[in-house]
Parts: sequence; C-alpha cells; structure tokens
Amino acid sequence: MKTTPLSRRTFLRGAVGGTAVALALPTLEAMLGSRDAEAASTGPIFGIFFWGGGLPWHDGHGAPQAGHPDLWTPAATGKDYAPSELLAPLAPYQPSVVTGLTPHTAVPDLPAGQSDGHMRGFMVSMTGDRIRPEGFDHPSHTLTALRPTLDQYVAKHPAFYGPESPRFRSLILGASTARFHDYGHWNAISYNGPDDLNPPILDPGQLYDLLFGVAADTAGMKRRALLLDAVMEDAKSLSARVGAADKQRIEAHLEHLHSVKSRLEFSGDACAPPGKPAPNDELVAKTDIMGSLLASALACNMTRVFSFMLSSPATTHVFSNLGVPNDFHATVHEGAWDHARAGILYQMQAFAAFLGRLQAVVEPTGGTLLDRALVFGLSEYGEGYQHSVAEMPCVLAGGANGKIRRNVHVRDPGGNYSKAHVTMLRGVGLETPSFGWNGGETSEAFGDILV
Amino acid sequence: MVQRRPHPGRSRARWLGFSAAIAVFGASLTACVGVIGDADEDTTEAESLVLAAPALPRLTAAQYQSSLVELFGASMPKAPLEDDTKPFLFYNIGASSTTLSEFGVQQYEESADALTRYVFADPARRAAFVGCEPAAPGDACVEGFLRRFGRRVFRRPLTNDEVSRWVGISQTLADPSAWEGLRLATSGLLQSPHFLYRAELGVPDDGAPGRRKLTGYEMATRLSFLLWNQGPDDALLDAAENGDLDKSDGIAAAAERLLDDPRARSAMQAFFRQYLDLGRLDGIQRDPAAYPYFTPTIREAMRREVELLVEDVVFESRGDARSIFSTRKTFVNADLAALYGIEAPGATTDTFVPVELPADGPRAGLLTLGAFLTMNAHETRTSPTARGKYVRERVLCLEVPAPPPGVDTTLDPPMGDPKTVREQMEAHRTNPACAACHTFMDPPGFLFEHFDSSGYYRTVFEGDLPIDSSGDLDGKPLADARGLATVLETEPRVGRCMVQQLYRHAQGRLETKGERLALEDLASRFAGASFDFRTLLIELVTHDAFRYIGEEQSP
Repeated sequence: MKTTPLSRRTFLRGAVGGTAVALALPTLEAMLGSRDAEAASTGPIFGIFFWGGGLPWHDGHGAPQAGHPDLWTPAATGKDYAPSELLAPLAPYQPSVVTGLTPHTAVPDLPAGQSDGHMRGFMVSMTGDRIRPEGFDHPSHTLTALRPTLDQYVAKHPAFYGPESPRFRSLILGASTARFHDYGHWNAISYNGPDDLNPPILDPGQLYDLLFGVAADTAGMKRRALLLDAVMEDAKSLSARVGAADKQRIEAHLEHLHSVKSRLEFSGDACAPPGKPAPNDELVAKTDIMGSLLASALACNMTRVFSFMLSSPATTHVFSNLGVPNDFHATVHEGAWDHARAGILYQMQAFAAFLGRLQAVVEPTGGTLLDRALVFGLSEYGEGYQHSVAEMPCVLAGGANGKIRRNVHVRDPGGNYSKAHVTMLRGVGLETPSFGWNGGETSEAFGDILV
Repeated sequence: MVQRRPHPGRSRARWLGFSAAIAVFGASLTACVGVIGDADEDTTEAESLVLAAPALPRLTAAQYQSSLVELFGASMPKAPLEDDTKPFLFYNIGASSTTLSEFGVQQYEESADALTRYVFADPARRAAFVGCEPAAPGDACVEGFLRRFGRRVFRRPLTNDEVSRWVGISQTLADPSAWEGLRLATSGLLQSPHFLYRAELGVPDDGAPGRRKLTGYEMATRLSFLLWNQGPDDALLDAAENGDLDKSDGIAAAAERLLDDPRARSAMQAFFRQYLDLGRLDGIQRDPAAYPYFTPTIREAMRREVELLVEDVVFESRGDARSIFSTRKTFVNADLAALYGIEAPGATTDTFVPVELPADGPRAGLLTLGAFLTMNAHETRTSPTARGKYVRERVLCLEVPAPPPGVDTTLDPPMGDPKTVREQMEAHRTNPACAACHTFMDPPGFLFEHFDSSGYYRTVFEGDLPIDSSGDLDGKPLADARGLATVLETEPRVGRCMVQQLYRHAQGRLETKGERLALEDLASRFAGASFDFRTLLIELVTHDAFRYIGEEQSP
C-alpha cells in the first residue's frame, strides 16, 4: 500500500469565540498525494442546496390568505443589504440573493396538473425547462425532467473539469428522509435526464464509507476493478441486442461501471480521513455532519460539484421540535402560516450550518472553500399554501473564485428564473450564451452579481 | 451532453380505455371524467391485438434480494441498494423505465463482493455452495460450477463462449488461489447485466410476421417474476429446456405449480399493496389525544388486516375478488377490534383473528377498514375528496384530473360556529371551477363521513352536529359506505380495474392502445370465472399478450 498522503484540509479556522484557530501547515510535498488528479485544485466549486416547502406566503405570492408580512425579501436592494428575518441566519456568509423571480417556461394544458407549483417550479429552477408532459400522471405523482438538473449540467459540461475528472464528478447528498411519495423527484432532486435520477446519500455513515472507507487490501481492490472489465463485456453484449431507449439505459450502466472501476483502481490514494461521525437525525445537526464530510471531500478535490437536498420537494418532514404537529406538506397546505414560518426559518439555520462548514476550511491559497464555491440555494416554489411560483427564492452563496459579488440583493419582480442560471453558469466559468427552454430562454445575467 | 429520448415502448401508445366503460360514461359526463388511460378519443377504429415492443426491466431491489436468497440462503448478508421508484403505482414500471445511477451501480458491486466474501470465506459453506473442491484454477470443478450457477443467475444456460470466458476470468483472477478466482467470477455473474436486467427478445414467429414469441427461458423468467417476484428455480428452467413453456398448457401447468407455493402469496401481496396504494400508510400519524384508538401499533395492524383479507379472498376461499370491497369478513388484532368496537376473542396486539363484522353495523369491505379511512384523511379532519378520489381512481380506474391552474384549492377554516366538513366543502359545489370535478369526487367521499381520520365510527361531529353521510356514485344516491359496498359487490368496473392494474404490474409498463382487446378479453374471462383471481392469473400468463411481443421499432 502506498503511503497515505496527508489531508489538505491543512488548517481549519473555527470561529471559536470569534478567534481564528490556525493549525500548523505541513510541507507541500507531504500534502500532495501520489495521484495528480487529486492534487490541490483551485477550480471553482458548484453546489446546490435545496429545501422543501418554499417560503411563508405573503401578498406578493397572490395567496388568498392575506395580510402576512414578507419575511424573505430584504427591505433594500444593492450591496450589503440588511438581511430579512429568514435570511438573517445566512448573514455571516454574505450570500447574494435575487428576489421576485418566477418561471417563464410555458406549460402545455394537457395532461392537466403540470402547472402545479411543486412540479413546475421545481423543474424550472433545477433544469431551466418544464416537466416532460409525456408520461406525466398527476394521480400517481409520476413526472420526470426533460433535461439534467443544474448540478449535473455543470458536472458533465466538457469545460468544467476538462480532461482530468476527479474521483467523483459530483456528490449527491441530503438530510431528511421524509418523503411525500415513492416516485422520482419526490425523493431526489438531481436528474441526469428523463427517468434518470441520482438519489441522494442520506446517511452520514454511508457517505463516510464512500469517501474514506478504503480497504487495506489494494491488490484485492485491483482484482475487483479487473473483474469489472468482464462485467462491461456483458453490458456491451446486452446493449447490442436491445431497442434504442433501453440501449441508453445499458450504456449509462456501462459508463457508471467505468467510473466505479476507476475508483476501485485508485482506492489506495484517498485523503487522510476525518473521524467517523456519530449518527444524528436532528436536521441541523445532521446537515452539519454531512456538510463537514463534504467539506473534507472538497478540500482534497474528490469532487467540485455537489447537490444537497435538505428536505425533498413537498417534504413531509415533521418539525416536532418546533411544535409543528403535522407534516410540513400538510402544514403549509392547510395554511398554518406561523408553522410555515418556523419550519422555513429552521431550514435556513440548517443552510447556515452547511455554509459554515465550507467557510471553516481555509485552503493553502489562503481563501476558504466558500470563497471558491458557488452554492445555489432554492426551493420548489414561492410558497406552499397555494403552490404559487411567484417570488421564488434564489440564493447565490459563495464567491466562485471572485466571479460572484457577495452580499448583494437584486430585486427583479416577475423576472425570468433562468437569468439566475445564466449568472451562475457564467460565474463558474462556463460559457453560456443563453439558458432556459420553452419560453424560458434568456441570455441575460444579473450584472450586479456577476463580476 | 447526451440528450435522452423518451422510451418508444412506453410512450408510443400508452393509452387504453375499455370501450364499454366509455360508452357508459363518455356520453353522459363532462370532460372531467375519463377512464384512466383514455387520452385518445378515438375508440371506434377496427381493432386487433397489436403487441407492444419489449421492455427491459431491471430487477427491483426486492427481486434482486429474493433471487439471491434463493441462491445463497436467508442468512446471507444484505447490502443496501438504490431505492426503486413506482410510477403509475408499480415498482415494475419504474424498473423498466428508470436508469440506474452511478452510485446504484457501485452498490451492486459492493453487494456482490460482500456476498461472495461471506460465502467463500468459510470452507464448509463454500464447499456446500460449489459442490466440489477446485484442484487448480479453471479445472472441471470450476467449469461445472460456473455452468450450473450461471444458468440459475442468467435464467438460461450460458453459451459455450460465455462459459469459457467466465472460466478464463476465474483463472486470471485466481490470486492467491483457485477459490479466489472462483469467488470473483461468481461476483462478476451477480453484477452482469444478464442477471440484473430481464431481456425479453423473443424469436420470430413463423405463423405471424411482425410479432416475436418469447422463448421458453424468457417465459420461465416472466412467470417467475410475476408469480414469485424472483428468478425461476431449476424445475422451471427444466420446463423451459424441455419445451413445456412453448405451449399454453405447459405454461398453465407451470403457473399452477408456482401458485401452489407460498412464494406466490407473498408476490401477490406485493401486487395488491401497490394496486391499493398501501405505501401511503407509511407516513400516517395521528395525535393520540384527539384519536385515542390510534395506538402506536395500529398502523401496521391496518396494513396487515388488508393483507389477511386479500389472502383469504384470493387464496383461501378463492371467492369473487371484488368482494374485498364488500365482504363483512375481516381480520383484526386487539387494536383494530377496539377501533371497530367489536368482540374479537383471542385477538392480541400480535394475534389477528377472523371476524364477521355485524350485519347491522356500519362496516363492510376494505373501504370501511382502517387503512383506507386513515390514509385518505388529513391529520385533523376527514377528506371526502381524497376518499372519493380513491374510490374513483383506485377502485374504478376512472381518471380525476388535477385542479386547473390558478384555482384556490384551500378551504377556509371554520369560522364562527363549527361547521361540518361537508359544509366547508360546499364551495366545491357552488364554485363552477371546482364543481366540474369535485361533483364526481366528493359525493362518493361523503359516504364515509361517519368515519373520522383514524377510522373510528362517530355519530356526531365536534360535539353535537349530526353527521350526514349521504352521497352518490355516478349520480346514483346512496346512504352511506355500506350502500356503496353493496353497489361495488357487483360492479363490473371493479373487476376491469383489477385486470388493468394487474396487467400493468405484469408487463412493467402501461398498456398500449393496441392491447385494448387483450384487456377486454381478460376482463371477460375474469368475469366468466366468477372473478376468481387465480384463474385470472392463469388466463393472463397463457394469453398471447403475455407470450408474444411486437417488433422493436428500428431506432
């Protein structure tokens, strides 16, 4: 077995009583592993942070329950805005926000139900397009995306990683295990394409093993990798015999076998592992644990793309710790505004814990992971009482290596949601003449945010 | 970036309606109501059975695990796998339409590795498993085992090329021993797409150009996954080898054998759980202060009750399958007996006993039992809409579209004097935008108003308001849920709906328009057999629509 390289999480800055705590910096040679692909990266990181249940409704959403204040939109626009109640937990991380956005995609009339906010808002904010109308079935909540979600769009964009892809093209994670339905996007947010989901890893122990659980028997791992050549032979022979659509499924399987094989081959070169976390199902604590494991993985360049599903669309998570008796989907549906407010504020606290983990890691360049990252924070609609897609939340946290201006509030009432996509894609260095489909196309970015 | 195209086999013609049902409803009701699958108005064209293109189902997690338990024994280690999805209610549809993720492929690798380590680490266990001791890599013991084991795993004999390739792999990887090479080859077979996917390719049918006949081994696979929810055993593969499954009577004989086995019961239970949408019970919670009969153990008991009822009707008494919606017979544990307010001597939390619900009581059939009443209600109040929707969609296979965009779907909370749920829902009747659909959903749902959100029978609403449980089905007035049960007892659409859902489950896809005749045919055979579900299964597996496939459209 090769010598295990030291982690490049070289020194951690913990905000302990406001004092930065620095650890000793080992020499560069000791830190760098023997595998070039995991050499220290300075490339931008792109991530998604999704929460279910939208925002507490207010008159701007057009909800019939009138008179509730807008707890999300900051009072002033521009740089260094004063945070609103719900954005206050994120303030230490200086996120930029765009308010007022809504989908501009058109939805076919049939089959009916596609304009349901859960579905339309989710698809537009995650993919820039509508639901695939074909095969859509409202009674069984069956729906799928037409194209990849933004995390996969970035992870598979040829210009993002270039020829050297890291150990994982992306990491797909989440926290709450509550689900509205057993199908598709009700328990996963990351799509590669139609009917092609990436279910999130929700268990910290499983994530730990995936990232750091490296078998000592490297020769055995190499044999397992060799064995996959034989499995791939079978995949190819099957692929040659089936129809076009099934062929795509088998080809995807084959492609995944290649990725698994390369991980087995290089399994001896993992970064020095952090301690294995104890399980904790409390949502903020669990987010913190998952965030810390992710930060370790990002710091040693195991990946530069992730998505994190704090809770799923139409989440049925029960915030019993907040005195909310019903599941959250029913809570917002039934118009319990105070409970909606409590549940969303709590989810923002989880978001803050997550961003805190990225900010705590200082890299050899002197910047933090959050300085290098762009974390897109969103939910599936504006609010859950009426499933309105007006005033959808859009958070752009992190600096994207200086390409994204931080702590800016842009207000664009009725603005096309895909302007945010264009802003983000350009922000992580991907040439993006335009983005959005079916009426949602735009070439505009938010100039106040994009550097 | 790869742009994915929709699946032609699933998208080309997903729709089917029963023409008889359309004749009854198409003329009289508004556009709100259709038969599920009836997107095409064109129902008058001359018909013949047009077979659908083949599907390529991946094994569901349950099928993967039970197939392996069959090969390795129940004590084998079980590794986590990617969750299945169930579009249109059925895991089998998800298995033939969704693509496995990268992490899902990795989990297959880890599962096969862990399982084979477990089997091969122990000399006694591996000797029993392999049946001989390899003296050298690639020897006769190794080859014999891979041939035998490979036939079970691939559900067909390996070709000679495949045998020599896998023997070669076991030699190449025989480090440090022949055993390790054999372990890895075994692990490889378990990761092979020939195991993980069920290819149904068929062979050209001389008698009928344009369609392909499934081979004996493919039929063995179809039969076994439908009736046992796992891969075929040696006897079924032998039947395939002998040509028994090329003929209708041979298929029927094989199916009868499978149906006599307990594995068939558990497989059929899995079907009924999906068709009746019982997965929705999972998240149900009730405040014990408001619903004292909703004990911590009752949710599982509600599910078990339905299983026992299905077991009794379908397998034990082989009665009219539709009677699950009307029979006064049921099975209760102590929790359910208390909820229902009935005597059930011998019942405990863990022991269920058969009971006859009182003839003059409010309950008869599945729609008056805890599972249905609870999973189609809100935490704090009933939902006539959800209950009525279930009756229409799940029991009768009638489609209820989603609300039109921009409609306020929220009912105002009661103000001033307490109002009954029925009164709150008055807007559904008076607002034309709501009424178009709710006219068909709410009235059957009102029939259950005597049952609260935990399924408990109540005579008054919030203290002193009388309960009005009158409603209707298709405009026919009914007094209460017992009245509905009486109608459903002889309702032809209940049987047709069952056929349609079984067909979707069995094929792993939606029926196509070209299969309309097959469903009509099966429905009438089901009726002809007095709705005996076991007979329906035999009719299905021997039907041309199950034994033949259409040609795949060229890409």
